[in-house]
Amino acid sequence: MEQIAPQLFNGLILGAFYAIVAIGLSLIMNLTGTINMAHGAFLTLAGYLAFTLVSHGTSFWVALILAPLMTVAVGILVERTMIRPLYGRLPIYGLLLTFGLSLIAEEVFHLTWGANGVPFQPPAILAGTVPLGFMQFPAYRLFIAFVLIIAISALVYFLRRTKFGLQLRAAVQDSEMIAALGTNTQVLYMVNFGLGIFLAGVAGVLAAGMLGLNPTTGNALLLPAFVAVIIGGMGSLLGSIVGGLLIGVVFSMVTLYFPAFNEVSIYILMALVLMIRPRGLFGEEGLFG
Amino acid sequence: MIASNRGVVVSCLLLVVFAALPFVNIGLEISTITEVFLIGIAAMSVNLLVGYTGINAFGNAAFFGLGAYGALLSIKYFHTDFVLSIVAGVALAFLGGVVLGPFLLRRRGIYFSLLTIALGQVFYFIAYRFTDVTGGEDGMTVIRPLVGFLNYKVDDHAFYYVSLAALALALGTFWIVVRSPFGKTLQAIRQNELRVRYLGLNTDRFIFVALIVSATLAGLGGTLFGLLLSNVSPLLLDWHQSGDFVLMTVIGGAGTIWGPMIGALIFVIGKDVLSSVTPLWQIYIGALFIACVLGFPKGILGSIFAAFEARRVVPPAPSSAAQAVVVEPHG
Repeated sequence: MEQIAPQLFNGLILGAFYAIVAIGLSLIMNLTGTINMAHGAFLTLAGYLAFTLVSHGTSFWVALILAPLMTVAVGILVERTMIRPLYGRLPIYGLLLTFGLSLIAEEVFHLTWGANGVPFQPPAILAGTVPLGFMQFPAYRLFIAFVLIIAISALVYFLRRTKFGLQLRAAVQDSEMIAALGTNTQVLYMVNFGLGIFLAGVAGVLAAGMLGLNPTTGNALLLPAFVAVIIGGMGSLLGSIVGGLLIGVVFSMVTLYFPAFNEVSIYILMALVLMIRPRGLFGEEGLFG
Repeated sequence: MIASNRGVVVSCLLLVVFAALPFVNIGLEISTITEVFLIGIAAMSVNLLVGYTGINAFGNAAFFGLGAYGALLSIKYFHTDFVLSIVAGVALAFLGGVVLGPFLLRRRGIYFSLLTIALGQVFYFIAYRFTDVTGGEDGMTVIRPLVGFLNYKVDDHAFYYVSLAALALALGTFWIVVRSPFGKTLQAIRQNELRVRYLGLNTDRFIFVALIVSATLAGLGGTLFGLLLSNVSPLLLDWHQSGDFVLMTVIGGAGTIWGPMIGALIFVIGKDVLSSVTPLWQIYIGALFIACVLGFPKGILGSIFAAFEARRVVPPAPSSAAQAVVVEPHG
């Protein structure tokens, strides 16, 4: 019994990773109809950049912000040059393109940082454990939970309370109309893509210290994030968050009792949700087919 | 579209040429050409969905792998002969289509793609994790069985003709499906599903059948591929494999009958050559993805047909087969 509480917490934190990747995917998908198969690669890139920054003497705290920003710069460059021409075309082209990008990225990671993964230590202050009353919990994981909650709250605030967020949500509804009303939708697309990548980047730096850093770190998070989007419902950020946390917990719990079924279990959950509520838990009917 | 009769003549001629290939030295291993055929059949199965029905399937490796696993599992556990193991593989892929279909049908557009990726991956994890049955990460290796009632050993040479027959079967099926009222309805769904619905047709049912045909075709390719190598591994089921199939379709020309086969030829040979000359081949493959999508969206055959189309007389009606697939922007 005493394993359950820590495992539940671990599941929530893993779920928070899924959630933040899923939110980034959703943002990009909702606005531009592009499934970003390279999302995991961007996540990994941020992890590696943070690793390189820290090993050259930058502090972890600076790297936590700087590495995602550098990744965003790469992301926006990619979006402007390669993904933008595909807006309005069949989604299969966006899929193929970002898929190709992730193949290239994986090989570049191999070449630059080696195939076997690199050690990435969180700072000493986060190394110990924290007593939670009923158990000891690693400080770094609590810190991850804290940062992910902040990041998600900031995003929700940005989308709900700022003029730019309002334009972004309006563009999801009808981008032609908002363009006709004088908003530069290209800027929206760019910033939106950057936002998604930034979230992935933060997740990447944090994940590097917990899940390890190797060329496929990001891709390991990508598929569960797809499942989170499907379970939560397309078009709903809340859905992505709930979906992510849910599969994180299910994954951890099943790992505890039936380890062979842990990966399959989240797909069974997805199948159940699809049977009972095809639009996903929080999805709106009619949005994105 | 080029006159269909001419297409049939060309197709038959090509098959005859293929039948003669093993007697001529063209510098390729016979098993490599066999591989091209089988991978090409799987790419054709993607084409039925992506090129003709206009739905964004990105998970056909699941059916390809199911076919391969079905054949090898039946050999390992039931000692089936060559013919029966083919039946087992194709049947398993068919079943996979029947089971997954109802889930996939729930959504369209990018959501459909997401579903195909996610649901396809289930089989990958099953093969990967249930080591006792499937051999896990290492997969399984078997000895290719004899044809039971003839006591005949299928060597690589004979296997080539089995694969060629499968290719002819796939092409024939494709040709009939595409020209049938059923196939015309699929193409109408590609252009405007809502309108087809308004005409009173249950589009879900049409897409379901298309999915099953596609799954079975992919399974046929996969079954023979597994038997060709006498080996399977979870990689056959992975979404990377699915992506490769889609790319082959786009390289050759989505919505053309021979396009995926040309794509498979370029892809398989290209990968063979690249991986023998450079360890960085994955970068080149990735670049190929990007170059095709950005620079060559109609694919090889698609572009050729479009050029023919442009030279013909007015009015410039959009060609149904070789048109670049463009949809309304989202929103």
